[in-house]
Amino acid sequence: MKVGRTPSAHGRRGWRLAIVFTALLCTITTALSLNLPSLSGRVVDQANIVQPSTRNAIEQKLADLETKSGIQLVVATVPSLEGQEIEPYANELFRNWKLGEKTKNNGVLLLVAPNERRVRIEVGYGLEGTLTDALSKVIIANAMTPRFKAGDFGDGISRGVDDIITVLTTDASEWQQRPSLRLDNQQTADPMSWILVAALIALITLLIVSPGFRWFFLNVVLNILISSGRSSRSGGFSGGGSFSGRGGSSGGGGASGSW
Amino acid sequence: MNVSMARIRGVFIATLLGLTLAGCGYNTIPTYEEQAKAKWADVQNNYQRRADLIPNLVATVQGYAKQEREVLTAVVEARAKATQVKLDVSQLTDPVKVKQFQDAQNQLSGALGRLLAVSENYPDLKSNQNFLALQSQLEGTENRITVARRDYIEAVRAYNTELRTFPGVLWASTFFRSNKPMAEFAASENADKPPQVKF
Repeated sequence: MKVGRTPSAHGRRGWRLAIVFTALLCTITTALSLNLPSLSGRVVDQANIVQPSTRNAIEQKLADLETKSGIQLVVATVPSLEGQEIEPYANELFRNWKLGEKTKNNGVLLLVAPNERRVRIEVGYGLEGTLTDALSKVIIANAMTPRFKAGDFGDGISRGVDDIITVLTTDASEWQQRPSLRLDNQQTADPMSWILVAALIALITLLIVSPGFRWFFLNVVLNILISSGRSSRSGGFSGGGSFSGRGGSSGGGGASGSW
Repeated sequence: MNVSMARIRGVFIATLLGLTLAGCGYNTIPTYEEQAKAKWADVQNNYQRRADLIPNLVATVQGYAKQEREVLTAVVEARAKATQVKLDVSQLTDPVKVKQFQDAQNQLSGALGRLLAVSENYPDLKSNQNFLALQSQLEGTENRITVARRDYIEAVRAYNTELRTFPGVLWASTFFRSNKPMAEFAASENADKPPQVKF
């Protein structure tokens, strides 16, 4: 009895291990595609170009903006764009951080790459009508690049943030009424949970009643296991400290500049 | 007793079959297809947005650089052609149609690039506020086109993969036999690099 059971149990465990391993491998390879900084706060100063006092002042303004309007504006500085243009990098970072609310997509990312001498304002889908490309360009050209040229990054970023906030808040009544422009992601599956409960009851009953069904059930479970392993790859951002993105997305709106 | 038991069993099996279908990915193919179509709508919207910006741009450049008639007409013609080549969502599986659409848009990109290069030679034009605004809008639109295209390519890849891999291939060969893979987008000279509208 014991001798007969061990090899089959071994075989099954081997299978399961193989599946888990493959899923893990997939997760690791996708995670390695770009080395993006993590969202540690409203000002992510990886390039270390903003004075702590300036940084605190900016963070306060950004927090006020979010409590007042729900808009998530984040400042990021990076030491390197890793050989990419600033536009795709900013878009990838924005989507990775999921700035803005999921239904409103009201996030803005101000990205500065001092070593590449590039700056970009990446605007979420929901704010494209307020913070337009032309306005973003004007903010970059007037408030930021002249100060960056002089080497004063803290002041340039601070002025840029002020201007962005001004643009975003002058017409508050208008954007609040704006319907969510896009619902890229699937709606939450609330009715599904009821179906799942019903399914579970039905399943258990059937497992008890019909022995022929048990074999079939094993296949289903295996299938679900495999597909859930696959979908976990697209898993969301797990918060950094007290601040995290809320599921917003961007489609490349905004403007870039150099100095 | 026996009859009612069998009936209950029948209902259970029917519900379960439905759930199993969903669990085994019956919904995946239609879901991916709809996602790809939605992404395509984004691509098309952004191309349309670009086309809408061009008349204004041409008018502004004309005011400062009348002698560049050749370049200006090339843009106008390319725009007319690009807006004529429409691609319906039902035609996304047709590689010839997709290529036609792409070629027309690429031609417009080329003409537009030449126009912006030429406008470099006119300092008055370059400092015109209207031109600067149009230029940043055009830049933004080109970037949006790049993003939308990338998203669409990704959605098509997911859909096509689902049609060809297990367990999707089972559904594709039974219930969704009419679902064909969508044509790959890209595969042209400079498709992977967006036309640069920089100064």
